[in-house]
Amino acid sequence: MWGNYKMKKILLMLLFATFLFGGAILAATGGDQAKDDEYDEDEYGPADPIIWVKPVKSVVFEHKIHTMEAGLDCDSCHDDLFEMEAGVAEENDDFTMESLYDGGYCGSCHDGDTAFASDTRCTACHIGVRGHTRLVGEEEMPSH
Amino acid sequence: MKINDLEQLESEDITTLPSTERRTFLKMGLAVTGMYLSGTVLSLTTAGRVNAANVVPESGEYPYNPHYSMVMREHLCIDCERCKEACTKTNHVPSHGFRTTILEKRRSLGGDAYETIFVPVLCNHCNRPPCVRVCPTTATWKDEKTGIVVMEPSRCIGCKTCMAACPYNARYFKEETRAVDKCNFCLDTRLSKGETTTACAEACPADVRVFGNLADPDSRVFQLLHSPGTTVWVLRPETGAMPNVFYINS
Repeated sequence: MWGNYKMKKILLMLLFATFLFGGAILAATGGDQAKDDEYDEDEYGPADPIIWVKPVKSVVFEHKIHTMEAGLDCDSCHDDLFEMEAGVAEENDDFTMESLYDGGYCGSCHDGDTAFASDTRCTACHIGVRGHTRLVGEEEMPSH
Repeated sequence: MKINDLEQLESEDITTLPSTERRTFLKMGLAVTGMYLSGTVLSLTTAGRVNAANVVPESGEYPYNPHYSMVMREHLCIDCERCKEACTKTNHVPSHGFRTTILEKRRSLGGDAYETIFVPVLCNHCNRPPCVRVCPTTATWKDEKTGIVVMEPSRCIGCKTCMAACPYNARYFKEETRAVDKCNFCLDTRLSKGETTTACAEACPADVRVFGNLADPDSRVFQLLHSPGTTVWVLRPETGAMPNVFYINS
């Protein structure tokens, strides 16, 4: 009778321990997943895409693809190729495809060796007016 | 008529038909069947002119001179829409319509990767234009010299049959003029004033749109379409309209 009670108690504790341990494991893995999903802006740059509208509408740049996925550091591009401040490059007169072909700006890597050449796969970066509207919204559309 | 009277009448079924009458009827049936059958048999043989590979007419077989056409170097289009802006400005296109526009396609590259393809479209100035054929008031026709499909707004009654007939959605109803409007390769706004190219082609920063005279072997359109190893395609070739806007990827 007494032994039965003791056994029950042990079983109960075992069950409790299993729950606790399992919960801990789940919490740990869940935490890990959250860490993977969490994009660290301090480490990888702004989460929002950079959108250039000059000289043509529109070109998109994703920090995530270049830093987190391709493994580039901030100083791979900043501040030699691009100013940290958004929108500075597109005010330059030489922010053109011609400069890219000469190894300037994106062309520094997008030369066909390090990354796909600037004169190929146009729509990988050029999202056009349609893509711009999708990202930014209708109000940015030119009225014509 | 009473049921008794009806029973007195001569039967009208085939048993009372004279055999000659039956034979002629049978002959007619065979003739009709034969006509259709022969058509089907004929359609199995190769028809040279309806070959999908030959979307570009053979050299020397251009109905017009200048035979205006446009070549789209499709993969270079980035949808900046400067062509649209230039067209709108040059030809006073209202915001509710378009003479040219850019379509967007997405092609799977396997996995999660996709590629965007922008497709510039405009009137194809077909050699056999369905829109011209259906117009009840001859408000639209092929220009005899250039082959451009032109519109005379004052003759248009706005029935929109041409809009329904066009396989390319290249026409819209312009409220301002109460007439259908469409691309005319800038014939009235530029070509007739001595310009050699359309507003859209001039505005394109990526050199996607190449406009010119296909009947001239020295023209860039001719060179692009006739360079070795180039795949040339047109939109909706199955309609048989023989469009004059060609697409290449080189």
